[in-house]
Amino acid sequence: MINKRIDRRTLLGWGAGAAAGAVMLPRLSLADVISNAKIEASSEMSKGVNKSGKLRIGFSNGFSGNTWRTQNLASMQTEAGANADRYELITVDGQGDITKQVNDIEDLIAQNVDALLVIPNSGTAVVPALRKAMKAGIVTIPFNLPVEGDNWTAFIGTDPKKKGATTGKFLNDALGGKGKIVALGGLPGNSYTAECWAGAQTEFAPGIEVLAFKDAHWQEDKAKVVMADLIAAYPEIDGVWCDGGQDAAGGLKALMAANRPLVPVTGDDYNGLLKLYDKEKGNNPKFKIGCVSEPTWEGVVALRTAVKLLSGEDQPKRQIISPVLMDGSNYEQFIKRDLPDGVFVDTLLTDEELKKLFS
Amino acid sequence: MRRAFNALRHNPVWVAVALLYCVAGLVSPAMLKTEQVLNILQVTAFLGLVASGQTIALLVGGIDLSVAGVVTMTNILATSLMMGQNERIAPAVAICIALGVAVGIINGILVAFLRVAPIIATLAMNAILFGAALVYTGGAPFGSSAPAFNQLGQGSVLGLPASALCWLVVSLILAYAMRRTTLGRWIYAVGANEIAARFMGVPTRLVLVLAYSLSALFAVLGGLLITAYIGNPSLGIGNQFLLASVVAVVVGGTALTGGIGSVVGTIAGALFVTLLNSFTNIAQASTGAQYVIQGVLIAFSVIIYRVIGESAETR
Repeated sequence: MINKRIDRRTLLGWGAGAAAGAVMLPRLSLADVISNAKIEASSEMSKGVNKSGKLRIGFSNGFSGNTWRTQNLASMQTEAGANADRYELITVDGQGDITKQVNDIEDLIAQNVDALLVIPNSGTAVVPALRKAMKAGIVTIPFNLPVEGDNWTAFIGTDPKKKGATTGKFLNDALGGKGKIVALGGLPGNSYTAECWAGAQTEFAPGIEVLAFKDAHWQEDKAKVVMADLIAAYPEIDGVWCDGGQDAAGGLKALMAANRPLVPVTGDDYNGLLKLYDKEKGNNPKFKIGCVSEPTWEGVVALRTAVKLLSGEDQPKRQIISPVLMDGSNYEQFIKRDLPDGVFVDTLLTDEELKKLFS
Repeated sequence: MRRAFNALRHNPVWVAVALLYCVAGLVSPAMLKTEQVLNILQVTAFLGLVASGQTIALLVGGIDLSVAGVVTMTNILATSLMMGQNERIAPAVAICIALGVAVGIINGILVAFLRVAPIIATLAMNAILFGAALVYTGGAPFGSSAPAFNQLGQGSVLGLPASALCWLVVSLILAYAMRRTTLGRWIYAVGANEIAARFMGVPTRLVLVLAYSLSALFAVLGGLLITAYIGNPSLGIGNQFLLASVVAVVVGGTALTGGIGSVVGTIAGALFVTLLNSFTNIAQASTGAQYVIQGVLIAFSVIIYRVIGESAETR
């Protein structure tokens, strides 16, 4: 199904799809585009519709309040600000409530928006509302988290299983296919962690022994407490697999507290992890990091896809982002030494914008 | 035999802690290592402090569900005010304590003067605090705690974790005050029977306000310690205390109906809960199983205390 590879720098730089090679859109400064993520597009296409005049794009954010959502929303607002003559962005916040989000979407439909962007709280609960929007002729674009079925115009996101495979392979290779590892995941029962972990395990050689898998809530404090217990239980831990940078940072802090040497870990583009690596790699010869981001610019891709569809261009039904692996060889490109640990560094926001956001 | 029964009757939670530790040690010998014991003590301190405050709320016949929000607020404020600098520790701590006590006073006024049910008043306060933390940070928390301050959560004194010493010293002072001061006796009196206490001349409304203030103050202290433990802000950091603090208090023998219980029991209750978490981590229980065990435990300990209480009455 995948037939096109679009370099993200191209996509974000020129706004218009390299594949379609169409109109040039106003764009953000390229100064901060540092990740060369690939975007893989499905061969199945969705039809564009030609709408003239100023567009209205609704965004139903399932919830706000964690750093990723904040950076994503800020990127979308920056993008919308730069294109204010072309469209208006209307954002509603589901506050983590499945029912409220369905009502939010109904409201946006009632307001006659031209396009509807959604990060769903539930991939099933929003299905009827999106179907209704489609019937009303609204371009619907779920992104970041999947929606059941295919009653939507286009989807943009990553493939957690593939991301897990990338970090799993990194850890396996860092340990030479042999060693004892523990794994720290996110919130209990979340499907993202489950898929990542499933992907990671496909890459482990038989010599990799998984001692334990624990939920660490993507929180440094939880990860540190859990890891301290694991350290007591296992005299030898050669590597730590994590699907989030906070888990990795908390786990590493527990190793440091127990006076254990730091070992290879995986994570994402959490600045705190990169800073920790930068500070401690000199004292710990075995310390390596292998990180794959969930790009905080997904919403920008969704917005640009919406505008292209509304300009009459056909667009791929699915665009799957494959972020680049960040490790010791390239982390210097990403690390933001003067910004807080909480920043996700795979971002389109400038350091100045981030500083304002994190203050 | 009778003496053993008496010991069990008076201190069932301590017996439970000892039993759990033995079982844990048998199943996972790693639990017996000195480092692991110290690790458990270090980590219990956060829950221990929050639960000590929660004890007071339960003793006056209420409950304080805003402790989660207070811990989050403390963590977010302390890190953003300190910005990793030692000279900012004092003002940051002072502001956290002042705001925390203000939250407690408002909780107390809602419950004592405006007659809002404690569970609603404090749950509303919890939502307000979490919302305020979101507004304050814009969803992007920043700052970090100061290196000297982190010693409280990460350092040790004479081989013992500094956090555990803070927790035990402060909680034992509270325990002593509950037994030996007039305010302590008033708290028990209000919890046992508010109307009777008022007839005896106890300023019941003032006692309620002070009780919720103490609860919030201890939540601030717990929030400061966990901040010193991890050094970074996190908007989700307080959530773990919402249920766990109540569990620790109830397991420690304090009645949800008020008037019965003790801070010393809560010290054991917090130890029990943390020990259980640590044991289930090491024994590879899933998070789901851990939640189930916690839930069963609340129900089970309430039943046990009722049975013990009734057997004491019939003697």
